[in-house]
Amino acid sequence: MNPISSLRDLKQINIDYYTAAHTARQNGKFIAYVNAFTPVELLYAMDFIPIYPENHAVILGARRLSEEVAPAAEKLGYSMDLCSYARCDLGSILTGKSPTFGLPKPDLLLVSNSQCSTLTKWFEVLSRMYGAPMVLIDVPHSGNGEKDPQAELYVRGQLEELQGILEHITGRKLEGDRLRESIRLSRQASELWTRILLCGSQRPSPITVFDQFIAMAPIVAQRGTQVAVQFYQRLLEELEERVIRGVGALSNERFRLFWDNLPIWPELRRLSEFLDQRGAALVTSLYTWAWATLSVGEEDPFQDWAEQYLYTANLHLQRRIQTYVEYARQYELDGFLYHSNRSCKMVSQDIPELRRAVAEKTGIPGVILEADHNDPRLYSIESIESQIQSFLEMLDSRKRKAG
Amino acid sequence: MIMDPWRPFLEVMRDPLQWARSWKHMTGGKVIGHLLPDVPEEMIHAAGALPLALEGAAVSVSQAQASLPAYTCSHAMGLMEMGLTGQLDFLDGLVIPYVCDTTRNLYHTWSHRFPETRHEFLRLPKRLRHPGARVYLRNELERFGRYLGNITGCFPTAERLSSSLDLYRKSRSRLEEAYSMHRKNPSVWTWERVHMLMASAMKTPREEHLSWMQELPWEGDKDEKSQRPVPVYVRGKIWDPPEITKMLDELGLVVVGDETVCGYRSIASHYQEGDPLDSIVNRLISLPLYPGYHDEPRGVVENFLDRVKQSGARGVIFLNPKFCEAAGFDLPDLQRGLEKEEIPSLVLETSTRGVSLAQIQVRLEAFGEMIGEDLL
Repeated sequence: MNPISSLRDLKQINIDYYTAAHTARQNGKFIAYVNAFTPVELLYAMDFIPIYPENHAVILGARRLSEEVAPAAEKLGYSMDLCSYARCDLGSILTGKSPTFGLPKPDLLLVSNSQCSTLTKWFEVLSRMYGAPMVLIDVPHSGNGEKDPQAELYVRGQLEELQGILEHITGRKLEGDRLRESIRLSRQASELWTRILLCGSQRPSPITVFDQFIAMAPIVAQRGTQVAVQFYQRLLEELEERVIRGVGALSNERFRLFWDNLPIWPELRRLSEFLDQRGAALVTSLYTWAWATLSVGEEDPFQDWAEQYLYTANLHLQRRIQTYVEYARQYELDGFLYHSNRSCKMVSQDIPELRRAVAEKTGIPGVILEADHNDPRLYSIESIESQIQSFLEMLDSRKRKAG
Repeated sequence: MIMDPWRPFLEVMRDPLQWARSWKHMTGGKVIGHLLPDVPEEMIHAAGALPLALEGAAVSVSQAQASLPAYTCSHAMGLMEMGLTGQLDFLDGLVIPYVCDTTRNLYHTWSHRFPETRHEFLRLPKRLRHPGARVYLRNELERFGRYLGNITGCFPTAERLSSSLDLYRKSRSRLEEAYSMHRKNPSVWTWERVHMLMASAMKTPREEHLSWMQELPWEGDKDEKSQRPVPVYVRGKIWDPPEITKMLDELGLVVVGDETVCGYRSIASHYQEGDPLDSIVNRLISLPLYPGYHDEPRGVVENFLDRVKQSGARGVIFLNPKFCEAAGFDLPDLQRGLEKEEIPSLVLETSTRGVSLAQIQVRLEAFGEMIGEDLL
């Protein structure tokens, strides 16, 4: 394994981010809990620091604290069948256990249901818990992605209303220049992130999906700031240099694989080492690409946001099949690892059909791994490794036959 | 020989799919299936088709797990099973409403497995109390009307809709009467029967259903046999497993309020005068929101508590469908709210798959005894 040195910057970036969040009030800033498809550029322009309870849960999972915090939520009545991000975050609030010293109390809870429906319910719980106002940007599911002018009007109307709510909370008017600057930075970060993800199509790939999972924190949480832009500039430079020198993320890249769905955060290191030892490089994924497509224009950002949430974020089976077929060609994939994620029904329920269709169209096999993105009690890592091992042996045999 | 007035309903519910298939064969009519929550049956009726509510919960699954993961609710899994086993091949159309991520995925998986069927996704807004949702919903219903008209050749015009609304108004009023008869006379108007009336109304031509209902024993006196009816309120989506309705009767638990989509939610709230499509929109918005919708978070709990208190229930039974995220996140705060009001509750995590009826029976029995104690 050849570690990427610019990823070391993330430690300080995260410390600064959570410190800024905890000291927001002293600095005249406000806190908004958000999820993926919300207009963070607008929030930054209005002196809000967007905080992702999902990211907080990821930190808990990656530090292997899930089993300490989630049971506290379950004790309160939240079933183990519910999203483990939510259970970990709620459990952390209840137990006080958190590597980030928890999250500061929110001034606003802002959620968009184009990501999934679970977050709406989770945020409703947080809203009751903190007595904080909640705004749902309701994004009707646009079927197969066909144009829906009525839905655009509905979503745009809610976004424009949001501006008024932010102005009411802060007692300040939105400044056009600040919004334009935030949008410009967001677009820059998004473009850099796209180029970083495209590096995975090189042979050998200079970056794996595991690196991308680690590197994605700023594009998620700090899109619209200089911090994200500078970090991704440094990362891209390093990757481009690797490409020129022919340095891969793995010393011996034998298999090029796709990772579907969210990571299994508690097993990030273990699975990374397991695959590395077998020359299996995860070169691209569904999850990390989601943030490559989130830039908006400065001319009419409200319309752009509305269309983005309605159409770009509209994930569904047919679209996934088309995308994966394209990735298979672009990234010269040997196989697909499909994470059937108990905690994310939204991205998991169509996996059986997805695998069948992609295999039919590309001839590239895939294996379904039953796991969970944050709760190790809901899967067996040994059985997952054994499945991957068999899958790699099968790929090896295919390669040999193909000569 | 006097015919048992309950028999027509029993015949429908014995095998609703077969009943609808036979109806289609005999009449040559169109049948449009739908996956329940908030699909406007009136519009399907106005388009000249039989609206057929499909409940996946009672279906035993053998093939669907190859298309959907095991952590999918039995409602969705059951629909897929019915599709894969050819039980729905007589349908002229199928409507899957946007309830949650599962129905959203189900629609796309269905589209992929059965591209030849005429299916539609009803894009219900989730922020129903927002003024923009009203406008959006009306437009969506217009789109839905075009889908229906393209299948039946008969578009749900304002005139046809008005006529259907008139029929549904009468039918729902009658069903509300049946609901209140359950309180007054639970040994004749058992919950199993009243539920059967509501559920069968969503599977048969309303005209016929209404005429069958006229023959029921409406004039019966107040029940003298029921010694100790214990009023309960039920929150859940569907009666899964269906045997629960009978258990409640046997245990003397009288349903004085419920929020299931094939229960009170299917008959509650009447139309206002005026434009028929606006009336349907207004009706949907005025219904108590089920967990798939978003409402002001504190209001979700407070409004629920108000409904329970107004019902006079001594306890609340939650029928929480296994793997249902929406219902699962609401539950703890609703329970805490009930505790503050000193209203006991029982949570049954229900699913046709892998649930022990005997265990449900025991828990219901214990709950009934506990909340009915001082009624002795």
